[in-house]
Amino acid sequence: MNLNTKRIRGQELRKLVLLGLVIAIKIILSQFSFGPAFVKVGLGFIGSVMLGYLFGPIWGAVGGGISDLVSSAIFGNQGGFFIGFTLTAMVGPLIYGLLFYRKPIKIWRIIAATILVTVIVNILLNTLWIAILYHMDFNILLLQRIPKEAIVPWIQMIITYFVLQALSRVKIRADFK
Amino acid sequence: MSKIIIGRYIPGNALIYKMDPRGKLLATIFFVCIIFLANNWLSYGLICLFTLATVLATKLKPKVFWDGVKPLIGLVFFTSLLQLFFTIGGKIYWQWWIFTLSSYGITNAIYIFIRFTLIILISTVMTVTTMPLEIADAMEWLLTPLKFVKVPVDKIALVMSIALRFVPTLFDETLKIMNAQRSRGADFNNGGLITRAKAIAPLLVPLFISSLQTAIDLSNAMEARGYRGSEGRTKYRVLNWSKYDFYNLFSFVILIILLLIVRAH
Repeated sequence: MNLNTKRIRGQELRKLVLLGLVIAIKIILSQFSFGPAFVKVGLGFIGSVMLGYLFGPIWGAVGGGISDLVSSAIFGNQGGFFIGFTLTAMVGPLIYGLLFYRKPIKIWRIIAATILVTVIVNILLNTLWIAILYHMDFNILLLQRIPKEAIVPWIQMIITYFVLQALSRVKIRADFK
Repeated sequence: MSKIIIGRYIPGNALIYKMDPRGKLLATIFFVCIIFLANNWLSYGLICLFTLATVLATKLKPKVFWDGVKPLIGLVFFTSLLQLFFTIGGKIYWQWWIFTLSSYGITNAIYIFIRFTLIILISTVMTVTTMPLEIADAMEWLLTPLKFVKVPVDKIALVMSIALRFVPTLFDETLKIMNAQRSRGADFNNGGLITRAKAIAPLLVPLFISSLQTAIDLSNAMEARGYRGSEGRTKYRVLNWSKYDFYNLFSFVILIILLLIVRAH
């Protein structure tokens, strides 16, 4: 998709509408979680994987940002409206897009993408935003978050693998290519 | 996986409901910055008073706000406790292994607890007194300056309104698909990790396929009704500033001035 065309029609309109729908899917999935109480795995990351895989890094990132805005409009942003969380919502699909978009599904890509997202988004950026937002000590916050982030990525990798396998089997009609 | 409630808007007729969503959103965003200005007991007292006044001005039951704070209260306590025992400075009261209880740690933990609660309360006021559609309109308005750096704001606005419109629809669809798969033996809540990861596919694939179909149908319908991009279109839903927004932003300016006076320099 071209970022700067004035007119939106035909295929591009279709892609934009589909982007809106995938964002809606991401928002719905992020309301679900599974696993035992101490390590709840939210399903929102599946939406990020879909955004990156289907729309590429740039529009995936745009979609991630919009999903954060829309979900805070509907459900409210737990822990306050803060632009930093919108930025992190953009980085996840961006990384998935760089590694998955128009590329064959490989185990190493899934492992690399999940580790990158976990380290950059969940461990560094989100901790940084919370530290800034509530004026807290970064290292202490890190101490609190690391145990969870050491377990969750491995579960995410397995789910990502099955999701990508499933998505790649869906025949996307010529209208979207 | 239980049913989720779409939207947290609770109808009411207090003054705060008449305020423009743009003013409210701006106030909510700035609140996060203003809270940094507080650095002594007096300034924290002032900002607590302001928040309490805002909460009372909504004329809603305390339970609404308690529901906003409840999901995070455990995390807030845990975070405050960590800050309490790992912050070192001032008078030391008690020490064991790596844990230290100091006067600086105590005030720091209390400040953090207050900050957390206030930010959650103000955000709750925002989402509870404003309809999602209005919040989305306000966000679109806030994004307008990005046009100057060539961000396709009109496309973003289109995608945003489609996503907003389809969250409830696709949510119903998700539940229907889950029930349909369940009726034929699918199990979404049991089994090991891999079984559960696999169970997501029978949910996601039909959802995605139906979204593809919806996207084709909706874009055809939009084109049939003469949609050619957002250039040269009028707006049916318009946001209007009123005197209530003056109250909103004026009280905010007063708060900032008072905070600047009473904070420790």
